[in-house]
Parts: sequence; C-alpha cells; structure tokens
Amino acid sequence: MAEKRQLQKAQTKERITAAALKVYSENGFSTPTIAIANEAQVSHGSIFVHFPTVDDLLICSLESFSDEIKKELHSLSDPGNDIASLLEMHIGVLIKHEDFYKRLIKEAVYLPEEARNAFIAIQSTVSIHFLHALEKDMNEERIKDVPFHMIFNTWMGLVHYYLLNSDLFAPRGSVLAQYKDSLIECFLTLIKNEKEVKK
Amino acid sequence: MKNCIACGMPMKNASDFAMCDESKDYCVYCARPDGTMQSFDEKKESLTNFIIKTQGLAAEAAESAALSMMRKLPAWENCFD
Ligand SMILES: [Zn+2]
Repeated sequence: MAEKRQLQKAQTKERITAAALKVYSENGFSTPTIAIANEAQVSHGSIFVHFPTVDDLLICSLESFSDEIKKELHSLSDPGNDIASLLEMHIGVLIKHEDFYKRLIKEAVYLPEEARNAFIAIQSTVSIHFLHALEKDMNEERIKDVPFHMIFNTWMGLVHYYLLNSDLFAPRGSVLAQYKDSLIECFLTLIKNEKEVKK
Repeated sequence: MKNCIACGMPMKNASDFAMCDESKDYCVYCARPDGTMQSFDEKKESLTNFIIKTQGLAAEAAESAALSMMRKLPAWENCFD
C-alpha cells in the first residue's frame, strides 16, 4: 500500500511539473500557480504538498527541462562529430523545445539564481560537445585564433538573437527551422581560417 | 550507461572512465593523476574553471553554477546540508 501511495505521489509530481512546463512556455514564469493546477487537473493545494514554494516548483521544472535537453544532446553526440554536425544537432534539439527555450532565454534574468543555474547547466553540456568537436580544428589551426569561450558565445549570441526576435525574422513557424542553414553556414565562415574558407 | 558520480557526465566509452577502467564510478576528468577521485574542493575549482574557460562567465557566477551542479550528484551528497 505504502509503495502504491509513493508511486501515485511521484506521478502527481511529474504531472504538475509537465503542466508547469507547458504553462510557463505559453504564459511566462510568473503565471499564477492556479493556472498550473488547472492544467495538471489537480487541486491548487495539491501543488504545495509537492512543492512548498513557488520557486521550488519553478526550479524543479527547469531542472527537469535541463536534464531532458542534456540527455538528448548526449545521446545524439558522437566523439567523432565535426563542428557542422554538432551545430546541426544543437539546433535540432532546440527546435524540439523551441517555445519553452525561447521563454527561458527571454526571462532568464528575472529567475532566481538556482533556476538560472539550470540554464548554465544546459550551456555546460552544449559547450563540452562544442569543445570536443572543435579541439582538433583548433590544434590544427583550421579555426581562427580566438578564445574558445568567445567562439562559443558568438554561436549562442547568434542563435539567441534570432530566437528573441523571432516575431521579426519568422512571424510564422519556427525561426530556427527557417534560418538553420544560414546560421550554421555564416558561423562556420566566421570562425574558419581564411585558407579553410577558400577550400 | 553509467554517469560519473562526481560531475554527472555520461560515460560511453572506456576512455571516458578514470584510468580507462570501466568498473570506476567516476570519469577521466574527475580523477587525479594517480587515478583517485578529486576532493570536493578540487572538483568545485575545476568545474568553476571549466565554466569560465568554455562560457566566459564571471568567477562568482561560475562558482554558483558549479555548486548547483554538484549538489545533485551522488559523490557530494554529504557535502551540502
Ligand atoms: Zn566526472
């Protein structure tokens, strides 16, 4: 019996987290918890049984999102990946979660520290794969002599700029799906050494 | 697939494990040169430096993020209250 109750409790918690991700993605991170309770079809009080504070729910949802993205990135990546296929994979994962991710980068500065750290954890995973894909090119000087973090941040800046202004770049549909090829091509041209570009 | 208990990295290939030993629970990045696992302070420092090197964050923000990541890992369970 106790086991069954434990399982039910875990399932309800999971349902609330999934509902929170959906509601945050549609209406932002300051949406009242009652909207999340409605989406999850649980009583408002039930949320606070599982999450003592609003921030607990927010942090837990963001961590589950971060874990999911990290899992996808890890499972798709290969030690032999070159930078072009890594960028393609990164955009592919973001397209799958585009609405939520867009919300996350839009509101990240207003989030509590622990929730922001869940975002940095995603970036850490991306950057590890980025580093592995670029290391060889950097050692063999196929890439311009720029500090690694600036190369990484240049890519993130480009992708985030298009996401944050998606209403201007792609009023309908996924901005990343529409601009994926030009973003990747432009970025590769920027970081490659002159003679590599000519090849 | 095993995840490193000290940094969370999934360990797919033998080369991901400390000393290429697949019976180990921690990864090559969490091992000292002699193969033993890094201490809490060593890991905190190396993770912080890694975040600074790869993402360019300020030291303070990088350390806070490193501690957040470590908080969830089995190796450091007893290091947080
Ligand atoms: Zn490790």
